[in-house]
Amino acid sequence: MKEFAYIRPKTMAEAVAARRQHGSRAVVMNGGTDIVIQLRERLIAPDYVIDIKGVPGLREIAYDPKEGLIVGACVTMNELGEHPDVAANYPWLAEAALSVGSKQVRNRATAVGNIVNASPLCDVGTPLYAANATLIIAGLMGEREVAIEDFITFVRKTTLGPEEVVKAIKVPPLRDARGIFSKVSRRSEVDLSSVCATVLKVGREFRLAFGAVAPTPVRLKATEALLNGQKLTEALIAEAAILAKTEVSPIDDIRASREYRLDVVGVIVKRSLSAWL
Amino acid sequence: MKYRVKFWVNEEPVELEVSANRTLLNVLRDELYLTGTKEGCGAGECGACTVIVDGKPVNACLVLAPELDGKHITTVEGLAKDGELSPLQQAFVKNAALQCGFCTPGFLMSGTALLQENPNPTREEIVRAISGNLCRCTGYVRIVESIEEVAAQYKGGAR
Amino acid sequence: MGYKHIGKSYARSDAVRKVTGDAVYINDMHLPRMLHAQCVRSPYAHAKILSVDISAAEQMSGVKAIITGDEYPNRAGLYLEDRYFMAKPGDTAKYLGEAVAAVAAETPEQAQAACDAIRVEYEELPAVFDAVEGMKPDAPLIHPDLKNYKVAPIFFPKPDTNISHHYVLRKGDFAQAAESADRVFEHKYYIPHVQHVPLEPHGCLAKYDADGKLTVWASCQSPYAVRQALSVAFDLPLNKIRVISQTVGGGFGAKAGTTLEGIVIPLAKKCKGRPVKLIYTREDEFINAYVRQGMHATIKTAMRADGKILGVHNTFVWDGGAYTEYGVNITKAGGWASAGPYDIDNVWTDSYCVYTNHPVGGPYRGFGMCEIHFAIEQNIDQIAKEMGLSEVEIRRLNGLRPGGFTGMGERLDVAGFQDCLEQVLADIEYDKPSEQISPTKIRAKGIAGGWKSPSMPTNAGSAAILRMNEDGTFFLMSSGQEIGQGAATVLPQIAAEVLSVPPDKITYISGDTDHTPYEWQTVASRTTYCAGNAAKLAAEDLADKLLDLAQIKMGAAKRDLKLEDGYIVHRIYPEKRLPMADFALGISFGDGSGYGGPAIGVGTFTLENNINTDKKTGIAKNHPAAFWTMGANGCEVEVDTQTGHIKVLKMVSCFDAGKVINPALFAAQSEGAMVQALGTALFEELKLKNGKVLNHSFVDYKIPTADDMPELVVKYVEHAEPTGPYGARGVGEPLMVPGAPAIANAVTNAIGVRFTRMPITPEDVLKALRGRKMDGKS
Repeated sequence: MKEFAYIRPKTMAEAVAARRQHGSRAVVMNGGTDIVIQLRERLIAPDYVIDIKGVPGLREIAYDPKEGLIVGACVTMNELGEHPDVAANYPWLAEAALSVGSKQVRNRATAVGNIVNASPLCDVGTPLYAANATLIIAGLMGEREVAIEDFITFVRKTTLGPEEVVKAIKVPPLRDARGIFSKVSRRSEVDLSSVCATVLKVGREFRLAFGAVAPTPVRLKATEALLNGQKLTEALIAEAAILAKTEVSPIDDIRASREYRLDVVGVIVKRSLSAWL
Repeated sequence: MKYRVKFWVNEEPVELEVSANRTLLNVLRDELYLTGTKEGCGAGECGACTVIVDGKPVNACLVLAPELDGKHITTVEGLAKDGELSPLQQAFVKNAALQCGFCTPGFLMSGTALLQENPNPTREEIVRAISGNLCRCTGYVRIVESIEEVAAQYKGGAR
Repeated sequence: MGYKHIGKSYARSDAVRKVTGDAVYINDMHLPRMLHAQCVRSPYAHAKILSVDISAAEQMSGVKAIITGDEYPNRAGLYLEDRYFMAKPGDTAKYLGEAVAAVAAETPEQAQAACDAIRVEYEELPAVFDAVEGMKPDAPLIHPDLKNYKVAPIFFPKPDTNISHHYVLRKGDFAQAAESADRVFEHKYYIPHVQHVPLEPHGCLAKYDADGKLTVWASCQSPYAVRQALSVAFDLPLNKIRVISQTVGGGFGAKAGTTLEGIVIPLAKKCKGRPVKLIYTREDEFINAYVRQGMHATIKTAMRADGKILGVHNTFVWDGGAYTEYGVNITKAGGWASAGPYDIDNVWTDSYCVYTNHPVGGPYRGFGMCEIHFAIEQNIDQIAKEMGLSEVEIRRLNGLRPGGFTGMGERLDVAGFQDCLEQVLADIEYDKPSEQISPTKIRAKGIAGGWKSPSMPTNAGSAAILRMNEDGTFFLMSSGQEIGQGAATVLPQIAAEVLSVPPDKITYISGDTDHTPYEWQTVASRTTYCAGNAAKLAAEDLADKLLDLAQIKMGAAKRDLKLEDGYIVHRIYPEKRLPMADFALGISFGDGSGYGGPAIGVGTFTLENNINTDKKTGIAKNHPAAFWTMGANGCEVEVDTQTGHIKVLKMVSCFDAGKVINPALFAAQSEGAMVQALGTALFEELKLKNGKVLNHSFVDYKIPTADDMPELVVKYVEHAEPTGPYGARGVGEPLMVPGAPAIANAVTNAIGVRFTRMPITPEDVLKALRGRKMDGKS
């Protein structure tokens, strides 16, 4: 690991100021589970690491039935997954958080970090895509809010500005919602997703979000349109499973082939929707 | 650049000047000579470096040294008290829950943290709590049973 | 016969040190003025090294020494001296990752920075990435000088090819068997490279003193073998090299030979008086330690209609990697055992070890047996299915029995295979179909057998020294290494039985070539057997000496005295007894004179009449194998036909251990072996592309976690090994052998598709199911 300076801002304003001052020579660290490995493997070599865990309020989870859920930037996967309000109102998000890595990693890794990394297979991505979550971003001019779908633009690319820091994730309240999180991996514990997905039913609306099947997590809009307002039947589900495969563009990689991923997308659509038959 | 950190290891205060590019694992092993915590991969994947930080098991290889300020850390060297092995250590000895022993400190820390948090875990909870710890020798069954055995002792009011 | 200490589940003698963090592994050593080493490695799988420029690196801060391949005067190798420990300028780098230079510096970071500053010019060469292709006459030659290499007389490299050994077995006449057969089958299998994954990476620390003494601390299984290799490579007399192996964090064969020690030593020589340390990263483990060789198997089988195997013709092609070290011997071991635990009259086998530009193949738990049995045991199930016979009956009909003959024509007086098979069939309830719980999750059972003998030199030796202390405690000294298998517990138990003292009175000391006596190697599942025999002989020697003294002191005939619970006791008048400790320093008399001196027992063991096979035919002249360990596994799996995932629900194991010295440790080792086999069956494969290891971390090389652990049932039978200590034979490796084929057979029984390649991934399952649907067979 190359030498670097460690900055621990005490306020969000300090964090933003440090970003502004050091620009591309700095990286922001939340849990650090990804950053420390990248440092060790010399994939990144910043001169400054800005650890935002000292900024007050970022460890908080707040839930209000009218406002929804706010997840601070430094909330860990275990804190998110084990929080009673999350488990009660967004159980599929909790499950996604608890599917990440090992218990040790989940005690450090954060949901916001997972999103900012913008890996196509980020496990908390699909529940947040399905929930129409937004990110609250602090910058020099104050805060802005952006839909998660507009935030992640490509593999490891986001619209986060060089002078900005993600402060929290906001998940809107969902009435009459049921959801299923699925993760298919080579080994059932402590593995990266070959395919992950969240299928939500909000009233008569369906939302299908998939990860590891495109450069970013994706919502299957055409499949959703096919299903919305319809009564689920086996025939409709079969049709949805076929359509879903046309909305993703997985690649071959070391974890799985394109063909396998396409198969699994169909299986997840089928298995998830069949639960509500 | 060096950073002054004050923290506690096994209830003893420590004050050190650390570099930012060192990890908690480096500090424990190379500066405090607490070598019971092992490095098996350096990438948070094997669990051999598991220690308990403020009550929670974490991979010491993924924590940067300057982050330690104010933290309470327990390592395998802190499990035995007054020369007596902890119940989980005793169970590992009794059940032959170790072979080469390299992963053992990590398992003990994951198991200890679990039992502190949840004295009556189910087998599934035990398995999930230790699935971030790799072992190549034992096939895991004796490790799981040792944790179960200590949990049963707690249940029986033995401790 | 009732034993006091044999067959008892004593706690591991090393357990307390290991649960407290007190056990010292190589990377836990910090010596004053210690330097750190790092390597420059070839980015090409096969390339000529045109030049190595170290001038910039030499000027960097903290740098104390830099070496290149020029430091290596001699080639070394266990059986075939085919490598320097570093690729030489002017010669070639033969795999991607081979060391071409190394640096010792004050800190690991400085060493790394200097490595980054070393400039190496390469000329990339055509490479061999497939063993079968590598055998062809027009394949690029990896070792053009092969014909001049020094080789042990039992191996036969083919000059001007990439074949480092061609093993031949010709028992009977397969061609004739095939002619008289009712059916002849031919099946092919492929086993990819895997890695051992000991949790402790390889490490070495070396110090060279002014008087020419070299001390090497290494995490190694075989300190004496390492000493020998270093002596040859660096022209050092054996009394000037001291190899110390302390706690070894898992071996599985990966730490059997000499690896990074050869890199550290020239650095230490250049930094006289300062210790130099090199610890492999996990990435190094996957690329630069050893890997299990890949293997292509073809089995032709001549069958009689009733299921009798008339003959087999096996062709094994091993992907040996850039250097052979143990590879040639694995090729031989695979050939030796190629009939499996079956009594077959006509066995022809050709087993080839082939150089490729892949990571170096080495010994891995099973030493070829896991690979060949993945083929042999699936072959039997396939034949059974194709002939409409029962796979159980074929095994019963052909399985070895006492008085039967091995593939090498060796008569076996002890053969527990059939008992193990029956036990496993009962424990997995093989005659009872699996209960189905879901139309998309299909359950089924599978079985497989296996066997192994130690593939060691026929004259491999072991020694032990037993020192008695003044208070009646002991030190048992041997170089049978504790690598997790339990040597430090089991060997004292053997000595304790002889001496009739509790095992905790005997402290085990091992792993120091200056102080603990010779042991060929801690490999081949031979430690309980070979080092155990030496320990038993040492204890018997000591007991005999104590009784010699006691007869004088106690005024009784030696034959009337015995050792019992720490005392020397008169057999007829048991009230006549003296503590054994009274004899620790000899005996003394009323006039102040003494006799006898301090008590030390010595035991040395080489198995007698263990004779090499015939060079041309591979046929046994007497007993080429010290012993054969046989057993079987059964399992039940659940296959998710939608995602392709396989869950192993239950595994059962039964082996003939001869005599189990410590049942708890036997069970623990059996459990570990089954889960390790499960890993290879379902997850593990070194993904190689143009010589590059694509999955060199735990992110993409998955071994089983606790979550993958099935229900595990361990049994054993005990048909004593006549030459073993208390009848014991080795078990460590054999226990892993039938696991993967049992799982493969179960998967086939579940979904009706045969997988001839491991691991069997979800992807393979779905692809196969889709293929089956397209064939219209579903």
